[in-house]
Amino acid sequence: MTTVAIIVMTIGAWGQRLAGAFLVGPLLERRPVLARAAGLIPAAVVMAVIVSLTLLKGGDLVIDERLAGLGVAALLVWRRAPFIVVVVAAAVVTAGLRALL
Amino acid sequence: MLQLRPPRPSMSSGRWPGAAGPPLLAEIYTPAMEDGWPTTAVRTPAAPRLSLADFATMAITFFSLGVTLQVVLIDAGASPTRAFIASSVIFSATSEFAYLAVRDSGGSDWAAIAAGWVVATRFGILAVSLSPKLPEGFLRRAAAAVNAFDPNVAVAVQQPDPKSVEREFWRTTAGMMIGWFAGIAVGTFLGNVLGDTGRWGLDAVFPAAMLAIIGNLLRRRDGLITGLAGGLICLTLLPFAPAGLPIILSVLGVAAGLFFVRSEVGST
Repeated sequence: MTTVAIIVMTIGAWGQRLAGAFLVGPLLERRPVLARAAGLIPAAVVMAVIVSLTLLKGGDLVIDERLAGLGVAALLVWRRAPFIVVVVAAAVVTAGLRALL
Repeated sequence: MLQLRPPRPSMSSGRWPGAAGPPLLAEIYTPAMEDGWPTTAVRTPAAPRLSLADFATMAITFFSLGVTLQVVLIDAGASPTRAFIASSVIFSATSEFAYLAVRDSGGSDWAAIAAGWVVATRFGILAVSLSPKLPEGFLRRAAAAVNAFDPNVAVAVQQPDPKSVEREFWRTTAGMMIGWFAGIAVGTFLGNVLGDTGRWGLDAVFPAAMLAIIGNLLRRRDGLITGLAGGLICLTLLPFAPAGLPIILSVLGVAAGLFFVRSEVGST
């Protein structure tokens, strides 16, 4: 991770929070559609990061044990399992399949 | 408005779900994202308070996430010092992972940074729901805003008055931060020892954690459609678009969710 990346992403994470608190909030209050759109953004972008982390390896699309781990995690999230259980199960399934296959 | 579940019994019983077991990030994310968000938050009859057990589970959860992040960062080639500094100041593990994903697929530094920014919008949105509920005052609101994460905002916005919002926010934050900094400290040392993260399945930890964080959003139909659209946009673009662009353009998935909402309102 480069120094520029650390600095600029810090500005991004802190700055967007401050912007949310003082600038975006009042704007969204007047525009319900924008508020709803903003509320949906995490679903889209976080899912994109999940897809990237699960299927990418060195720039190529790969289906491997990580997908099985994510599948188990999805099942557990759907069943409302505790956070820690979801995370540990995903790691165990992924590592277990790697050891077996 | 649509398909929203009423608060679960554990939420309305006056105790935070963590009291009965480990904290459920997916569940406590709900209030910030429930019906009418963000101008009105769901009020449970009795606001959840953080018990000592909740405090400990919160710390343990963030401890384990911190350890994992450091080990993965160092495995990806960051020097331990750099990884420690990055995770201490950036305040967005999701951004760090987005950055790693883009760099790993050969993207430029700026493409990776842009992806990190797009992903950090989530925290801006959390600050939107938190800020108006805090006591007046620029500095105290600013201090709280930069510490806005999913669980502390979710607990805080349910409190009945500004004073309790602020108190419960900082108590939850303290639990998270103690766990987080202990975790990244330990992880920085383990990063050198563990070696191959794949053998421990650590590369599967963050996708699973992120899924749990947006779990409640995905339970709403518009949230699910948005998530699927965002994932599909990313997946479609991955093979040929420049690295970073698939994550950035996934924002357009929101249009699918909005379109669905409109048709839903029209049909009922």
